[in-house]
Amino acid sequence: MIKGKAWVAKDYVMSYDMVLQRFWTSPINPQENAQWIMAGVDERFNKEGGFQHCGYTFIVAGHNFAGGGKSIEHCITGLMGAGIQAVFATSFARLQFRNAINYGLPFVTARDMNLACETDDELAYEPATGQVTNLTRGTVFTCVPVAPFVSEVAQAGGLMAFIRQKIANGTIADLR
Amino acid sequence: MTAMTITEKIMAASSGRDKVRPGELVWVDVHTVMTMDYLGKQCFKAFESLSPERKLFNPERLICVSDHLVPPPTPEWATLLNEWREIVRQYDLPYFYDLGRQGIAHQIMVEQGHVLPGKVSIGTDSHANTYGAVGAVGNAVGVTDAAVAMATGKCWFRVPESVRFIITGEWQPFVMAKDLSLHIMGMMHWNGHLIYKTLEFAGPAIRDLSIAGRMTLCNMTVDLGAKNGIVAPDEKTAAYLQPVQKGDWTMLESDADAHYDAVYTIDVSKVGPTISRPDKLDDVVPVEAVQGTRFNKAFVGTCTNGRTEDFAIMASILKDRKIHRDVNMICIPASQDVYLECLEKGYFATLVKAGAAIETPSCGPCAGIHTGVAGDGDIVLSAGNRNMKGRMGSRNAQIYLTSPAVVAASSLFGVITDPRQLINEID
Repeated sequence: MIKGKAWVAKDYVMSYDMVLQRFWTSPINPQENAQWIMAGVDERFNKEGGFQHCGYTFIVAGHNFAGGGKSIEHCITGLMGAGIQAVFATSFARLQFRNAINYGLPFVTARDMNLACETDDELAYEPATGQVTNLTRGTVFTCVPVAPFVSEVAQAGGLMAFIRQKIANGTIADLR
Repeated sequence: MTAMTITEKIMAASSGRDKVRPGELVWVDVHTVMTMDYLGKQCFKAFESLSPERKLFNPERLICVSDHLVPPPTPEWATLLNEWREIVRQYDLPYFYDLGRQGIAHQIMVEQGHVLPGKVSIGTDSHANTYGAVGAVGNAVGVTDAAVAMATGKCWFRVPESVRFIITGEWQPFVMAKDLSLHIMGMMHWNGHLIYKTLEFAGPAIRDLSIAGRMTLCNMTVDLGAKNGIVAPDEKTAAYLQPVQKGDWTMLESDADAHYDAVYTIDVSKVGPTISRPDKLDDVVPVEAVQGTRFNKAFVGTCTNGRTEDFAIMASILKDRKIHRDVNMICIPASQDVYLECLEKGYFATLVKAGAAIETPSCGPCAGIHTGVAGDGDIVLSAGNRNMKGRMGSRNAQIYLTSPAVVAASSLFGVITDPRQLINEID
């Protein structure tokens, strides 16, 4: 069970705005990437630590979260470094959906949940069942539980660690 | 035997299965992995953490390209490029397309035969969907997926649901694949109808399209939210690939009774020049709706529209004419091969005489990096692929997206113009 405060977003939170162009070539490092995450999404986040210091645990968004087609993983590591432990959205852009799985950050499809929550609401999320409780409003949402592969990668500590394990125990060729 | 779409067939064959179903998670063998200058060093570092002995799955199938940062606009990026070159050189790879032999990675991948029908190729840039133009599954991935594939030759995929677009009718004068692409963008919107899906383009009007046009169409499927776009290979594909292909392949297509989530039929005879208004790609209208809108910068290039036929149609419109004095036009060929062909065919001579600036192949200002970025107050008429705020530089610039034909015709007048108005004046 994960508990914490949510930031509620609209449709089209774009990857470009999550990570401004000047940081696209930064090293992948959650702590460093977190400092300017979301800087272009909202003027109040456009300062060092702007989003990070708000103390959010969840993001609840609309359509096409992390859209705009950047492959950069800073979007994900930046969110993780800023303390985000799950993102709920009506739909996700596939590149960042993939990156999130590879880093073990739950990106959970939850249709229109953003219309029923407000920023600073307290949520409780149970990954195994997909249930989200809005503690502030006393409402419950049922999302799709995490798929076995996704949970296996997350438990390994991300895709890199997952693959390292497979290489180490000689089962890499069995992946198919 | 269950009927399958072409993408399902490719994923089945690449994962050692007889069949796959949408939603299934499979590890596929990738044919080629592409990475490029600004992310490449990170790919190699991540790869080395998986393979300390630095054993690539296949050195001939890792394609390295310098495209976003060449020639470098700042000392910082020049240094980053040097670090990138240094690490690629350590591996002594047979295919490193660096400045002087460069092109936009996706153009290089297709044009140099690194992508083959029936195979899966991945790249660390979102427009890797372009590879579907020759009947491959082309997919964009992040650094982690690239590193894993560099070490293992494998990549995980969720088999996508397929959506079929059957394109019928005749292409009208000055109507290009880009117009169809933007038309579909306006029709389907950005809000999830096509997200994670494979978009298959078929029908007589697709058979009529050149490989360059098919590249434009598949390229922009990423901007529709799709996983990939694909056109089944045909005799045009075979003729295009024959001189350059790096490997063997066989013809394949979807089974006639394959399942599609949705099938849309579009009569291309009814599609005219099309334009996407600033800030949102799916805010699409026929060019007539914005006719007369002033702009001051014109740009044609990118992995979407930087190919020879794009500059050919521009040259046909701008021949013996002058670009309006209030318009600055930048043209960037997508590769050195395209550059050379446009020089040899005289297209660039025509464009330069008309008043256009030609830049060396790179992603250029499309990603707001260099060679003509947008400043405050600029109104850009672009044949690129994205028009979000800040995409080409300043967040206080506006970007209209359209075809090279519309950019060329409009540049004569300094206002957005329907190229069909010039139909009687052009050879």
